[in-house]
Amino acid sequence: MRFVFYGKRLLSFAASIFILSVLVFCIARLAPGDPLASYYGARVERMSGQEREMAMERLGLNEPLAVQYGKWLERAVQGDFGISYKYKQDVLEVIGARVGNTLLLGGLGFVCLFWLSLLLGIFCAYCAHGLLDRIICTLGTAVSVIPEFWLSLLLIYIFSVTLRLLPGSGAYTLGGGGGFSDRLWHLILPLCAVILGHLWYYAYLVRNRLIEEMRADYVLLARAKGLKRRSVLFGHCLKNVLPTYLGIMAISVPHVLGGTYIVETVFSYPGIGTLAYESARYKDYNLLMVLALLSGIIVIFSSRLGQAIGERFDPRIRSRDRQEPDRG
Amino acid sequence: MYLYLSCSGEGDEGLNGKQKKSRRLERKAEKKPWAASVLLALIVAGCVCGELFMTKDPTFMDLANSERAPGGEFLFGTDTLGRDLFSMIWYGGRISLLIGCISTLLSTAIGVVLGALCGFAPKWLDLALMRFVEIFLSVPSLLMIVFLQAVAGEQNVLTIAVVIGATGWCGIAKVVRTEVQRLRRSEFVIASRCMGGGFFHILRWHLFPNLLASILFMVIMNIRNAIAAESTLSFLGLGLPLEIISWGSMLSLAQSAMFTGAWWIVFIPGVFLVATLLCITKIGAYAQDVLTRKERNV
Repeated sequence: MRFVFYGKRLLSFAASIFILSVLVFCIARLAPGDPLASYYGARVERMSGQEREMAMERLGLNEPLAVQYGKWLERAVQGDFGISYKYKQDVLEVIGARVGNTLLLGGLGFVCLFWLSLLLGIFCAYCAHGLLDRIICTLGTAVSVIPEFWLSLLLIYIFSVTLRLLPGSGAYTLGGGGGFSDRLWHLILPLCAVILGHLWYYAYLVRNRLIEEMRADYVLLARAKGLKRRSVLFGHCLKNVLPTYLGIMAISVPHVLGGTYIVETVFSYPGIGTLAYESARYKDYNLLMVLALLSGIIVIFSSRLGQAIGERFDPRIRSRDRQEPDRG
Repeated sequence: MYLYLSCSGEGDEGLNGKQKKSRRLERKAEKKPWAASVLLALIVAGCVCGELFMTKDPTFMDLANSERAPGGEFLFGTDTLGRDLFSMIWYGGRISLLIGCISTLLSTAIGVVLGALCGFAPKWLDLALMRFVEIFLSVPSLLMIVFLQAVAGEQNVLTIAVVIGATGWCGIAKVVRTEVQRLRRSEFVIASRCMGGGFFHILRWHLFPNLLASILFMVIMNIRNAIAAESTLSFLGLGLPLEIISWGSMLSLAQSAMFTGAWWIVFIPGVFLVATLLCITKIGAYAQDVLTRKERNV
């Protein structure tokens, strides 16, 4: 029974990725411009008509889209995603050299975001409608609407250009070898930008859920029995809010990832975001396609993971899913 | 003292001073966002009839006066290409707001139609469409926009608006689907179907008025997101080119200007952008407050 359960999950995960790849492939192939250019670059212009024909034939670009997709998939499964037009290198190699940087920034940002917004949300709920809460609410709303790129610009302007405290670009000092502390030093500002851009959205969510939860009848009972406000908040309410929070954080991965991409670009941090930006600028479809696919896989995986975690912690979600079929 | 515990605290009587104060503040939090509305109205009015008080031609590149600090002849200073920022703000804001509105119209239309389709569809189709939405959502929206933008090729106001609109409909579709599933068994929908009302007739005249309340917040937020997305794209150089003035494309000069000390190129368009986004957010939050409060009272 358990095996069937996990098998089903795996199958639906695989199906999602398959459809995503079809979608991405179609968009890339429908792009205007010469598809040959993404393989041969500027050399296309010097090709004779016959050479072009042969190249089209060899790459299978004359065949219907479905056949093309099949061939692409066949190669892709073997790890061959084609060659990046800009870098003249295997796409996977180009990405492989940079994916670590993004995972470091995005992963660290996500973990910090998760804990900080939880703590801030609990704090605001604890002193709800007090002076401190109102100040944080006003400030938080103002910060949360600032687009990430402008936030990054502000941080660079203040801490890097004016105060000259922190480095404003790159992942390590050029020619410095790139030790651990050096990398961390370069990570501070981008990390702040990633966290600040999203912090209040999730903290506010936690705050509101907790305040709502504090109105429930069981809180009244617990208070009547003499429990302190704090112990009810942490002992009872938080437990009921956490599964929802986990689920929301799992869905938030695309937002955080997208934010990371922008921040990377502004800080010219050598990660996937900068790469996506470059590949869009230079119309490097092979690369862009794989990047979209990769981001999609990370997101789908994390959303499924979040679902599973939520179900594990909160039996209510499971029973809700089971009841859903009899709608309408 | 125990009495008020049993009446689950609906009224204010029996609460101590601190609790009373917190109740009052709670109500105060739902007051109308006057400041935000007035500010937004001012910005919009300034953008719409900017010609009346623009001091310069916003597109004229006065290279002799590039990167002049604010004050005197140039109220907000000039940018790297010698254009007058004060005139550009109003002229460019028009484009930014226009893109926000067009793409929101588009995303709302797609979201409502697709969501209603899902709500009416048999279960398998509904499931398939929802999975499709999930997959569509899985690519970070900005990457999707960049991708579509690269595919669209030409970069002008319309393509940007369409591309942003085409990626922003998922949230609305989800809400509409749930609402339609709730409404489709109601008598008025069945009656309309019996009288031969088609899908779009029912959607327009029977469902849409009922849906409006639940999607209003998302529609307002979509305007905000679209403006933010446009400015981000244009800033990166993937959206509007430098010649088409918008708040985003004005900011695309910011990164290099920062190192020459021209802070006004970074700050002034950004402040206008953030102020607009903040006002829209405040108004959206108020709309949601009012609508959910009504729901709670039913």
